[in-house]
Amino acid sequence: MTQANLKLALGPLLFFWPREKVMTFYRAAIEWPLDTLYLGEVVCGRRQQLRSRDWVALAQELAGSGKEIVLSCQALIEGESDLKRLKVLVDNGELAIEANDLGAAKLARDHGLPFIAGPHLNIYNGETLAVLARLGARRWVAPLEMSRDMLAGILAAAPAPECEVFAWGRLPLALSARCFTARHFNLKKDSCEFRCMEHPDGLTLKTREGSDFLTINGIETMSGATQSLLPHLADMRASGVGRARISPQAEHCEEIVRTFAAVAAGQTGSDLSACAKGGLVDGYWRGQAGIVKLGETQNASA
Amino acid sequence: MPSNRTLPELVCPAGNLPALKAAVDNGADTVYLGLKNNTNARNFAGLNFDATSAREGIRYARERGRHVLLAINTYAQGADIGRWRAAIDEAADLGVDAVIVADIGLMDYAARRHPDLRLHMSVQGSATNYEAINLAHELFGIRRAVLPRVLTLDQVRHVIENTAVEIEVFGFGSLCVMVEGRCLLSSYATGESPNTHGVCSPARFVRWEHGAESLDARLNGILIDRYRKDEAAGYPTLCKGRFQVADDTYYALEEPTSLNVMEMLPQLIEIGVAAIKVEGRQRSPAYTAQVTRALREALDAAGREGSRFTVRPGWQQALAKVSEGQQQTLGAYSRPWK
Amino acid sequence: MQVPDLVLPPLVARIASRLPATPPSWLLVGLLNQLVRRQVLPADMSLLAGRRFEVRVLDAGISLRFTADEAGFRVDTIAETADLCFSANAADFARMMLREEDPDTLFFNRKLAIEGDTELGLIVKNLLDSVDWSNTPVGRFMAA
Repeated sequence: MTQANLKLALGPLLFFWPREKVMTFYRAAIEWPLDTLYLGEVVCGRRQQLRSRDWVALAQELAGSGKEIVLSCQALIEGESDLKRLKVLVDNGELAIEANDLGAAKLARDHGLPFIAGPHLNIYNGETLAVLARLGARRWVAPLEMSRDMLAGILAAAPAPECEVFAWGRLPLALSARCFTARHFNLKKDSCEFRCMEHPDGLTLKTREGSDFLTINGIETMSGATQSLLPHLADMRASGVGRARISPQAEHCEEIVRTFAAVAAGQTGSDLSACAKGGLVDGYWRGQAGIVKLGETQNASA
Repeated sequence: MPSNRTLPELVCPAGNLPALKAAVDNGADTVYLGLKNNTNARNFAGLNFDATSAREGIRYARERGRHVLLAINTYAQGADIGRWRAAIDEAADLGVDAVIVADIGLMDYAARRHPDLRLHMSVQGSATNYEAINLAHELFGIRRAVLPRVLTLDQVRHVIENTAVEIEVFGFGSLCVMVEGRCLLSSYATGESPNTHGVCSPARFVRWEHGAESLDARLNGILIDRYRKDEAAGYPTLCKGRFQVADDTYYALEEPTSLNVMEMLPQLIEIGVAAIKVEGRQRSPAYTAQVTRALREALDAAGREGSRFTVRPGWQQALAKVSEGQQQTLGAYSRPWK
Repeated sequence: MQVPDLVLPPLVARIASRLPATPPSWLLVGLLNQLVRRQVLPADMSLLAGRRFEVRVLDAGISLRFTADEAGFRVDTIAETADLCFSANAADFARMMLREEDPDTLFFNRKLAIEGDTELGLIVKNLLDSVDWSNTPVGRFMAA
């Protein structure tokens, strides 16, 4: 049996860009060598350059291309207004959603809608995967902190549904009720002046010794470095991973996608280090701290 | 007018037998504990219970009419989850009053294997809305959910109004600023996180460097904070460090603070919270005793006095003293930063 | 019983620091070994074996140095940096041992300094916390 190439997905946009930039970005991206595009606001309910209905409309427009279009749901659902936005996505009636909360998985199940179990659903073992598959998950995204070895063990026992892995981008590490961008500008969250829009790749947080450490992105905290699993694409496929996720960034996105596509097809490509903010890391995949740089080993003091 | 609601259960932490006894002796209705392994989210060297000490603790609590909960609230890791299943089996065998579980795969196992074992959704399960809680209720029959420390009082009320599941909230302790169960900061820096290893910013990666003018706190070599001489220090939890963003050096994510809901107890009773939880299985019996005593008195007073309730200075002092960073906040319940 | 908030006068420290440190260390080690033998101190010696410890009572000017092996504790006579060092004033050590204060609280207040291997410090702290004094003759002195 010949193994199909690793498929490529463009993950949901995690930053806050102006509406025009978003529309331009996706109308270009639909032409790139991608199998899947995820659309929607995952991070913050205050980001309304595109409202839920606008995301659905854009998704329906792009679905005409024949590529798989998925509507991604907000990860932190705190109250009724968050649930209402979620219901608008679920009510689209045909396109799958990416559920990033158990509540979203429930609504998808209630509507008979297939869903992708997103990275925030914390699937760390086959039993949990089986529960979500019974609810209608047709694919799942592995937790960002999961190592290759652990994932391969799970996939050996549970080859279906298909598994997707976060392969490129600043890692979304944590969510909070608080907004750290607003905090930086001494603003309250409810009157944040939408400062996230001034930082299309987030705000870099450095240690007091000046080294890049994390990225502030509204209520989300991300890695300062960019995770790249480009050197591991063959290994990913061999481990049973079906799809690699590339997380959108403000610049170089097309070059990144085309390089991943070339490498997934067995060609050689650049290492993309010129396209990365904060340097390249791949520690999680290799069972180490996520911050460990490509090719290095952990400098644990332990 | 005093509330006619029943008082919420006071749920207190125990990292060892003396702490369990301190909690019971000082008025906890319920004590929660973990086993000595990575099946629980306070997996620290030398902490927690084995079968013998757990049995003795359960006996001690039962004889005094109190309940014991077992936290099995890390995510079962990988292809072989035997250790987590064994922990669930052990909980059933010990006869604890409920298990606190985050992983829905593990809930599925517990519900099938031990249908009489009461299930609580751990705060690590990240269930912040009633749809998520109701799904876990429908699938596994969970009886209680512990809410992450991200909701306002009104949002907590809204959850309670829309679910049959009991709702437990945090009342006091070191504040986790991120949504519990959805924070990978610790594994990004060290390779170990609450979800995977039951630890946050684990001690074996912590180094204190005493300089002439300052004390540096490092986590796996990363400078988390630098304290001046005599400046109050905190444990180098990643989210509570001081960092540089643009030209500012400050607590970019959160100051070292403790949550303290004491002044809000009448409202929590009024909206029908089933239980109020104290954080701190990693702290000492002295902490458990002091916090339990203060909250017991305050909760009883709030039940008697309703809207006339005022926080007594003695309680506040007791809690202020043991607080991390010596600061306290109402956290997400009131959102001064909103 | 409350430990008064008292700092030993500097004179005590000046005198004490000139005395040989070994006798107090012998006392401490003897006490620890008794507690282990009577199973009051539920110590997993494998976690402590081969490690060097130092307890500095700052206001008394005393430094107690000891080490551990699989069998128990011994006075440490080698002048190397300890793997773990606790420093505090006598009254704060007393509060910790009597469970009037949580070591974390003292640490946050900078009244207790911990240097060296942080995980070893946690092991020691958790070991002391897990002693159930109510099962021992000294228990009656520990009542809050």
